[in-house]
Amino acid sequence: MEIEKGKTYKYLREKREVSQAAKDNLKQFIKIKKLILDALQESDLTIEQLTQKLNMPSNEIVYYLMSLVKYGFVQIGAVDDMDAYFSYKLKK
Amino acid sequence: MHGKIMNASFDALVIGGGIAGGEAALNLANNGFKVLIVEKDLSIGGKMILLSKVFPTLDCSACITTPKVSEISRHPGITIFTGSEVKSISRKSETSFEAEVIKTPRYVVIDDCTGCQLCEQACPVLVHDQFQYNLVGRKAAYIPFSIASPRVAAIDIENCTLCGACEKVCPTKCIDFTQEEEEYCINVKTVIVATGFNLFDPLKIPRYGYGTYKNIITSMQMERQLAPTRPFNTILRPGDGKVPDRIAYVLCTGSRDATVGNPICSQICCMYSIKQAQLLMGALPMADVTIYYLNIRSFGKGFEEFYDQAKGMGVNFVKGKIGKITENENGNLNLRYEDINENVVRETEHDLVVLSVGVLPNTDSKSFFRDGDLKLDPFSFVDQADPLASPSKTSIDGVFVAGTATGPMDIPDSILSAGASSAEAISYLNRKL
Repeated sequence: MEIEKGKTYKYLREKREVSQAAKDNLKQFIKIKKLILDALQESDLTIEQLTQKLNMPSNEIVYYLMSLVKYGFVQIGAVDDMDAYFSYKLKK
Repeated sequence: MHGKIMNASFDALVIGGGIAGGEAALNLANNGFKVLIVEKDLSIGGKMILLSKVFPTLDCSACITTPKVSEISRHPGITIFTGSEVKSISRKSETSFEAEVIKTPRYVVIDDCTGCQLCEQACPVLVHDQFQYNLVGRKAAYIPFSIASPRVAAIDIENCTLCGACEKVCPTKCIDFTQEEEEYCINVKTVIVATGFNLFDPLKIPRYGYGTYKNIITSMQMERQLAPTRPFNTILRPGDGKVPDRIAYVLCTGSRDATVGNPICSQICCMYSIKQAQLLMGALPMADVTIYYLNIRSFGKGFEEFYDQAKGMGVNFVKGKIGKITENENGNLNLRYEDINENVVRETEHDLVVLSVGVLPNTDSKSFFRDGDLKLDPFSFVDQADPLASPSKTSIDGVFVAGTATGPMDIPDSILSAGASSAEAISYLNRKL
C-alpha cells in the first residue's frame, strides 16, 4: 500500500490488529471520563462525594480524576475544614 | 520481522543508561573514546532521574541528574540507543566483542519531534503511567516524563488503538507507524555492564496487604509523590484521595529476609526512608511519621547526623518487626508488630503505610554473554573478580561492571564505582590498542 506521511497509522492497521484489551480499555476510559465530567458539571465535589455519586471504588476515582487533572480537564479546588479532602471542579 | 542488519563500531559498549552507565560513558568519551549506550527504557537517567531529593544533603535529584543527562546526550563521542536491548555478546578476537542489539520502534522520528505534547493531548487512550508507578494514567502517545532524555514522544503500541489522532495533530509529521524493529551488529573493544537493580515486589509478602489495601504504597510511589513532577497536587492516599496524617514506614520489606529469597541488606532503605520522613514533615507539617525498623544502618558520611536530624524533627522510630497489616472500614491500616525493646506485641493504626522495598539484582546481564560466562555472586549480582584490587573487573577479560549491578549501593557510591569502572576500561583500551 502507498504510505502517506501523516497517515501512516493506516499502514499499521493493515498489518496489525488492535487487541480487544486495548479497545475495552479505551471504552472504559471514555465512559468513566464522561461520568466524572458530568458529575462535576453540577457542582464541585470531593473524591468521597464522587465515589458515592458514581458508585465506583474510591481508588478508581482517584486514578481517573487525577489523570483528568493531569490532562487539564479538571482542576483542584479548596481543601475542607479538616485539611483532609480537596474538592475538584471542571476546568473552565 | 527484522530488515537488514546494520553494522557499527565503537570503542566501548555501556549497557544501561542510568547514573552509573552515564557517568562511565562520559568518562570514556571525555578521554576520546567512541561510546555506545544501550538503554532499554525510553529515557536515560535510570531510577535517579525519578527521585525527589537525595540523602543526606536533600539536594534536588533532578537538578543533579538533568545537567549530567544533558551532557551525556549532547556529547559528540556518545551514541545512545533508547528502547533497545542487548541480545547477545560474543568475543570476536582477543581485543574485540560483537554485540547483537535490538532497537524496538518508537513510532516517532526522534530528530523531528519537538516535544510539543499535542499528540499526547489528542490521544484518547489512558493507561497506567509506569513512570509515576501507576498512581496516575498516561496516554498511549506520550512523553515518558517531563525531564526525560530524549524528551520526545513515543507510541505505546500495545495500548494504541491506531485511531490516527496523534498523527493528525502532529505539526512536524514525526509520527511514523511504518517503523520496524532494527537489528544492529556492534563491534566493540570493551563492555561496561551497568544494568542497575530491580526493586522488590511487595506482592511477594501477602501478609502486608500491598495490592489489596489501597493505602499501602511502595517507597518509590512515595518518592514520586514527593517529587516536583508528582502525580498529585500534594501527598494523598491513593485509596480515597485523603491527605494522610499518620504515616508508617515498614523497613526491610524484601531485604534481610531469607523467606523471600533476599537475605542481604539493601543499604539504601534506612536512609531513603529517613529522607522521605523529613520531606513529609515539610510537606505535611501536622503529620505524624513513624518508622518501624530492625536496625538503622546509617554507615555513610553524614548519615548518622541525618538520622539524628530526623529524630530532632519529630520522626518516631520504633524498633519493631511488622507481622501483619490489616485494613479498617475507613481505609486506615492496623500494623501488628513485635516491639523489640519492650518485648511485647502491639497494634497501631496509621492512615498510610509505605513499604521500604529492597534492592534486588538485575540478572539480565547473565544472558548477554554467549561464550565465557559472566559470573554472578551468591546473591546474583555481577561478581567482582578482584573486589579489593580491581573492583570493576568481572570474570571476562575486557568486561567491567559499574554501579548497583555489583550489589546494593547509594548514588555517590554508584558514581564512584562508575568512575573506577571507566578508569579500568580506559586502562584496558590503552593497553590493548
